[in-house]
Amino acid sequence: MSNQNILEINQISKNYERKIALSSLSFIVEKGELIALIGPSGAGKTTLLNLLATILQPDSGEVIVDGKPITQYADQKKRAKKIGIIRQQFDLVGQLAVIHNVLAGRLADWGFFKSLFSLFIPQEKQVAMKALERVGLPDKAYERTSNLSGGEQQRVALARLLMQKPEIILADEPVASLDPARADDILDMLTKIAKEEHQTVIASLHSVEYARKYFTRLIALKNGELFFDLPAEHVTDEQLQDLYQLKELK
Amino acid sequence: MLSFDLHKRKVLTLFLLLLFAWSLFGVNWQEGVMHSSGIGPAAEIFAAMFTPDLSLDILILAIESSWLTLAYATAGMSLALILALIIGILASGVLASGKRSRTYMKGSFRGVLGFMRAIHELVWAWLFVASFGLSPYAAIFALAIPYGGILGRIFADMINDVPEEPILALKATGASRLQCLFYGYLPSVKNSMISYTMYRYECAVRSSAIMSFVGLGGLGYQIQLSLNDLHYDEVWTFIYFLIILVILIDGWSNMLRKRMQL
Amino acid sequence: MKKRKFTFLTFSFYAFLLLIAASWYFVIGVKNASFLELFSKENVAYASKFFKGLFGVGQEEIAFLNRDSWSYAFTLTIETLQMSIMAIGFSTIVMFLTVIPAARNVADGTLTLSRKWYRWVVFGLIRISYIFSRAIPELVWAMIIIFIFKPGILPGAIALALHNFGILGKLCAEVIEDTDSRPIRNLASAGAGRAQILMYGVLPTVLPQFLTYILYRWEVIMRTTIVVGFVGAGGLGQEFKLSMSFFHYTEITLLLICYLILVIIADFISEKSRFFVK
Repeated sequence: MSNQNILEINQISKNYERKIALSSLSFIVEKGELIALIGPSGAGKTTLLNLLATILQPDSGEVIVDGKPITQYADQKKRAKKIGIIRQQFDLVGQLAVIHNVLAGRLADWGFFKSLFSLFIPQEKQVAMKALERVGLPDKAYERTSNLSGGEQQRVALARLLMQKPEIILADEPVASLDPARADDILDMLTKIAKEEHQTVIASLHSVEYARKYFTRLIALKNGELFFDLPAEHVTDEQLQDLYQLKELK
Repeated sequence: MLSFDLHKRKVLTLFLLLLFAWSLFGVNWQEGVMHSSGIGPAAEIFAAMFTPDLSLDILILAIESSWLTLAYATAGMSLALILALIIGILASGVLASGKRSRTYMKGSFRGVLGFMRAIHELVWAWLFVASFGLSPYAAIFALAIPYGGILGRIFADMINDVPEEPILALKATGASRLQCLFYGYLPSVKNSMISYTMYRYECAVRSSAIMSFVGLGGLGYQIQLSLNDLHYDEVWTFIYFLIILVILIDGWSNMLRKRMQL
Repeated sequence: MKKRKFTFLTFSFYAFLLLIAASWYFVIGVKNASFLELFSKENVAYASKFFKGLFGVGQEEIAFLNRDSWSYAFTLTIETLQMSIMAIGFSTIVMFLTVIPAARNVADGTLTLSRKWYRWVVFGLIRISYIFSRAIPELVWAMIIIFIFKPGILPGAIALALHNFGILGKLCAEVIEDTDSRPIRNLASAGAGRAQILMYGVLPTVLPQFLTYILYRWEVIMRTTIVVGFVGAGGLGQEFKLSMSFFHYTEITLLLICYLILVIIADFISEKSRFFVK
């Protein structure tokens, strides 16, 4: 069952007021795929990710996660086991120590008292420390998260995902605010971890170079429609030029 | 090593909780904290909250005392503003020439402001009444001094927080220190000064209401009289007038602040 | 739009001028308060006697030179300190119990990511109680409370707390309204429940700011303790009033010295703690 379809997207559309954000988009994702969403800004990448994260609801069409419609994952705790999210670095609680931000990945499994107690004496510390070691920050566990650099904060977010262990990772511009060296670092780590844990990644990216370098499949969106959907090595420079061209030549 | 940063807040919290626990020991709980007949008046006072006395004489009296309270507050505040501007500008040190005279000036005038606001307005009122007798000026001065101290300190802070660059540019054109003040510092802090003064104006109305306790009339005086006569329904009428007065000024100052930000 | 803003500001400006003029006219014209009369011979003589009294000129028993008076004043000072801590403690407890539903972004569900109609009702009720508590001065609260409780520092602390929880609640609710909702949303997507969002997302973000406000209000309460004492709510204030009525002027000086020391200490702590908490 290694080629199981983890995610099916059927004919989903989403409109904002007058603007069409997505029009009848469909594709299927198999377990373990590393997918990069590319396309000019306003193409609908973020809308698609927000639909998958159930922050938005589609106007029509459906999303099927692991054989069940996404609407059946109404319980936040169950959904968190299936889908995890990483965004730009502003997603950590700056005033908490790093270890608590990492352990927050376990909140779906913890009850009220365990979560409260953990703020005083960190619970499941070994697991958290192991996660921090994997992202290369074992010595920062007790530092205030806001004192860390942008790249380090993004690694803490990765460590949190390691704790949460979702089957699908949604990454919305995970490296948008980082310098190139850090960005390489984070994407390398993200895709490596996903491979090791057999997770599926869907990431929106501004940069085509990163998409080709780290991901196996590229899905290009333009004006809310599918522009192309190809394995990374089959994407040609001409196609990319067409994708980012300002005006369509008709 | 565990970082100090993570634990210092826990230590601080624990310390504050212990302080609070210690303060509770200051009360003699064994002997009972309420009057033996304490529940009765409490229930009566609470019940009267919903049935304020709205008879005509009381309403007229309430309006008169509200005006008295407002008038004292306004007069006191206008005086406080003048005091605050003068001492605040001096305490900001921007008028001083050398570095040494600046520190000296800052220190001494900030000290003056600190003393003015350290003593509560009612204590000032008491001192004034004790030395001058019952005069409206006692209330007005008693308001003007601590409020002048608070406003002056904030004004001085505001002036000190003005960005350097425009001032340096002014100086480069040959402006004197006084010209810098009027063309550089004051225009940049004018709006924040006005909004802070408005905020304090609301507090001044409340303070003015309690000036009565040294015998200076106003809403507080009426509340006290009615309480002494056990007319709880009248007490609430005056309290509601005070609340309305405070809300009106609060609303006005909020509107002003919003407009000025735009 | 620009025109309207202009007119409202000018209207306010003239309204204020009018209000100030009317107030001064009322004080000088209607109340017939003469400024010069303040310095009439009688008043000057009286004032000089009062100030001489304060400094103990020509008196036999001078309280601020007497060891027993000092030790008595010291116990009163400690009592006053306890009253202020108790007062800020009470108002902090009530503030914590009410502040979360009192934030606008909790009421409309943007922070907790769940919408319930009754949130707005709770929001409204708590905000009204804040306004009520804020608008009534401590001293008026104290006068009412003293009807119910025996004189001592407890009624004083309750009165101070009743006035301050509204102020504290309003300030702290605004802090919650200003929190960044992005980390909170992310916690929710990691599967955190409502209580967990509160513990891991909201509280760590707002607590440092809360503490600054609590210390700031404590400083103000310290200054006000003396006033609630006037109506019998214990501490330095109560003794101050007694000394006033018995014309024990040197005692007043002593009590004022103790009061000033307390206020300066509170001022200092509140100022320094701002850097410590950050």
